[in-house]
Amino acid sequence: MHAVGVLEAGLCNYVLLSYGHCGRSGDSMMRMLAGLNAEDAVFGHFGATGGYALAARRAMHEFRTGPETWKRIAVGQRKWANLNPRAMMCHRPMTDEDYDRSPWVVEPFRLADNCLLTDGGRACIITTRERARDLRHPPVVIMGLGMCNPAADPAPASHLAGPTGARRAGEMALRMAGIARDDIDACEIYDCFTYTVEITLQDYGFFGPGEGLDWLQGGTIEPGGSLPVNTSGGLLSEAYFMGLTPLTEGVMQLMGRCGERQLGPKTGNKTPEIIMCSDNGGILQTHSCYILTKG
Amino acid sequence: MSLKNKYAIVGVGYTPQGVIPGRTTLGFHLEACAAAIADAGLRREDVDGLICYRGFPPSEGETEVTPYLVAQHLGLSPVFLAQDAN
Repeated sequence: MHAVGVLEAGLCNYVLLSYGHCGRSGDSMMRMLAGLNAEDAVFGHFGATGGYALAARRAMHEFRTGPETWKRIAVGQRKWANLNPRAMMCHRPMTDEDYDRSPWVVEPFRLADNCLLTDGGRACIITTRERARDLRHPPVVIMGLGMCNPAADPAPASHLAGPTGARRAGEMALRMAGIARDDIDACEIYDCFTYTVEITLQDYGFFGPGEGLDWLQGGTIEPGGSLPVNTSGGLLSEAYFMGLTPLTEGVMQLMGRCGERQLGPKTGNKTPEIIMCSDNGGILQTHSCYILTKG
Repeated sequence: MSLKNKYAIVGVGYTPQGVIPGRTTLGFHLEACAAAIADAGLRREDVDGLICYRGFPPSEGETEVTPYLVAQHLGLSPVFLAQDAN
């Protein structure tokens, strides 16, 4: 969104977006957790898993959700990772039983509900559609954008069980794109935790509150499903590069560069024309939605 | 005026990923950026904007990675530089 802003302002021609982190082998994440130790830490509550677990627990109180719903997301995304040679979990299939046996981290989240820690980086370049036409790959055009940041401190916040910022950001992006939700062929959703995927898809309107479990049955988001989600494996099963994991996967799918996991005849899905991507930050405190299409 | 279909994503940069000891956060930024520039078919002189994602605290022995540092090591002189994408 910022990159589009500086391009629209005429300040730049080509904007590079970059992420890198030695998140697995360095001690950076432990330092961040130490930094988050506010007063709540004496009650045993700290870190992002704790924050999102509170949100997920609230959601369990508000509507029909829980581990049975999130299992479909964790297991479904793992099937995509198993098709992606770059994915950290490429060679580690996950069955329903594997999910059930996964150890608790912060209830109601098991380890399988948590994203990965990754050493690595990811970058992409944004430019005008005119300039894009002269470059190497078929460009992927941004059809719609939306952002909404319910920045409230998580403890007293009322949005953790939805609607999160995804509701408004998604509506803005769809309106700008001039399309209906049914026109979307796949989603690449920021998935720091399984619940984040559920609440984002719910707030985007793919299903009503508590209908996620039924909606996810039968492999909806999996290879061959009616709405493929997180086709690289996502943050849960590919690698953690913040919003660049979902965004770059949406781009690569529309460029047709995804190998075995390429949506289309190989996976039993429609060859995608329109992909909806998301990013969020904090404890559901920021949200961006991007709708991409072939240029 | 609508932003619809005015802007495009033209290159993606990957690095080795997973459990890769002995590398730095800065090094991963630089490799990903260089790969994205090459993937788009651009020269680094073409890149005039750099936005680094919000990051995490530096690990033991590392300095904090700022967009200035990334630009400096890539040999860029961007007219726009910022941290915290989204």
